[in-house]
Amino acid sequence: MDRKYRLAVGTLLVLAWIFNAAGAAADKVYIDIDAPGFQQFPVAICDFQIKTGDPSKESVDLSDSVRRYLDLTGIFRVLDKKSFLEGVEPGSPEIIRFSDWSVIGADFLLRGNLTVRGKDVFAESRLYDVTRGQMLFEKKYSGITDDLQSVALSIASDILLALTGDPGDFHTKIAFVIKKKSSSDIFTMNYDASDVKNLTNDHSIVAAPRWSPDGRYFAYTSYKNGRPMVFLRHLKTGKEKILASFSGLNLCGSFSPDSKKILLTLSKDGNEEIYVLDIETMNLRQLTHSFSIDVSPAWSPDGRKIAFVSNRSGSPQIFVMEADGNNVKRITFEGNYNTSPSWSPRGGRIAYEGLINRKYQIFSVDDEGNNLIQLTFDDADNEYPSWSPSGRQIVFHSRQNARSRICIMNANGMNFRILKESGDFLVMPAWSPRSEQK
Amino acid sequence: MKKHLTVIGLFLILAFSLTIFSGCAEKKAVVKDEAIQEQKVAAAQEAAPAAVTADDEAARKAKEAADREAALKEQAAKDEAARREAARAAWAKKNAEALVELSLQNIYFDYDKSAIRPDAREILKANAEIFTKNSSAKIVVEGHCDERGTAEYNMALGERRAQEAKQYLVNLGIDASRIETISYGKERPLDNRSTEEAWAQNRRAQFLLK
Repeated sequence: MDRKYRLAVGTLLVLAWIFNAAGAAADKVYIDIDAPGFQQFPVAICDFQIKTGDPSKESVDLSDSVRRYLDLTGIFRVLDKKSFLEGVEPGSPEIIRFSDWSVIGADFLLRGNLTVRGKDVFAESRLYDVTRGQMLFEKKYSGITDDLQSVALSIASDILLALTGDPGDFHTKIAFVIKKKSSSDIFTMNYDASDVKNLTNDHSIVAAPRWSPDGRYFAYTSYKNGRPMVFLRHLKTGKEKILASFSGLNLCGSFSPDSKKILLTLSKDGNEEIYVLDIETMNLRQLTHSFSIDVSPAWSPDGRKIAFVSNRSGSPQIFVMEADGNNVKRITFEGNYNTSPSWSPRGGRIAYEGLINRKYQIFSVDDEGNNLIQLTFDDADNEYPSWSPSGRQIVFHSRQNARSRICIMNANGMNFRILKESGDFLVMPAWSPRSEQK
Repeated sequence: MKKHLTVIGLFLILAFSLTIFSGCAEKKAVVKDEAIQEQKVAAAQEAAPAAVTADDEAARKAKEAADREAALKEQAAKDEAARREAARAAWAKKNAEALVELSLQNIYFDYDKSAIRPDAREILKANAEIFTKNSSAKIVVEGHCDERGTAEYNMALGERRAQEAKQYLVNLGIDASRIETISYGKERPLDNRSTEEAWAQNRRAQFLLK
């Protein structure tokens, strides 16, 4: 039943998209949010007006959800609705005094209305550019009262698409590890920290959780068989197979962009080296050849390069090599402990953790080793960065004394937010790819 | 003529079945335990001269019951002793293993290093002697790290420490095929505090017999 509804919502959304009057606005990036000095979009979200029937709980819920989702993206400053000057006059939504909105600091304005018929809801929303006095889009949505969140997500996603050219990270999950004393397990949660679920429940040791870019598989290292082995889980069926169980260390690396191969760190020949494994044929090929530690490989989104950690120059540093193992080049030179490389899905930049003033902080650098930026500065240890699919946000774990957190920030280090906090260790977050729209 | 044949047939059947029955009885007698026979004889001898009075019968029954009980008690005591002996032997064996493992000392490493320190060499030599004495046992070398830094890098570093310790033991003459390495990275600290002292304790290789 639920699925049928979702399918119907999906179809309607697609139709709404095709017939979208202002669809052209999405073709060009309205504002370059990656430009230096980008300020958050100040946006006013009006409560949805009820077209038929009494003002209901649904209209407030829907607008509150849109506000919350926009706030999560880190690129909006959602204005407090108490500051709104304009009284909402039912029946005259077309007449907007833009000056009333610009005076309270709103650059963008979302207005809409809602019709509730039994369990069905129909929403219309319009996004305006306040400073130019223009409508950017007008769209229709449908859903059910029990799942207003989906409608809110779609509206927030459309606003993001109209203003940035990218639908954002709304339909994503974050995997992370909860570590208690001597055992740990992998969990997943939605992008807004809701719906926390066990992915493993072995009370063993787990490490290196990785999503396949096609969203179908999940790979990780677990000690559940008594020693570290790499497992591959098919997410829909839950079926697992062992990818690597050689003697010594078997550590999960990262999937290739086509999800067909996976990078691994193996010590089967007495020394940690990086290998590439074809998941279907199980054909294994060695990529690094050095007497040092080579670990934590990360594939570039175009599949041509691999970033990894090596202590071949004495301390752990980030290196980049061609996907066939050739042309190894060191890209970090500041500090003597740089690890956990994560490649931006939009290419070009690599986030990693580095030790500075006795604290681990998140940095990013381009794949040639230039344009180094420090992203976190607080008094905590901030580690294990993982990019969102839009490449606009980074999730990482943060620990200060007994407080352990999973946090998100914008790719430029702004707008730090705590996603989840605990007395147990919350570590190793990994951002999923976008799930197919329901 | 017909009647005659029937009579002969019946006779034959009778003779045949008799042979079978007597055969069976013979076999049973052979199978019978000598002890049981002796018991029967003894019981018969005992019973024969006695006057068959109710009192005697009761006394005999009581004696039999007492004997049975005594035999059961004796058996139980024997079982218990055997159990105790087995438990003691198991305990002794386990304890001996524990003693051997107690004398296997950990070695420690410098921060972010896997090189065998000079102070670890004597310990490795002593451990190698124990391994040589217990030549049938497999050896597990565990590599561990302190809590600082990346879990993944530390898993690699822990493996490296275990591998270096293994190589040192191999150089001392221990068969490489007996030694298995496992890295626990920073996941199994000995000391949970976040102090220099705790970190120094946690950067270690541990040795086990298997």
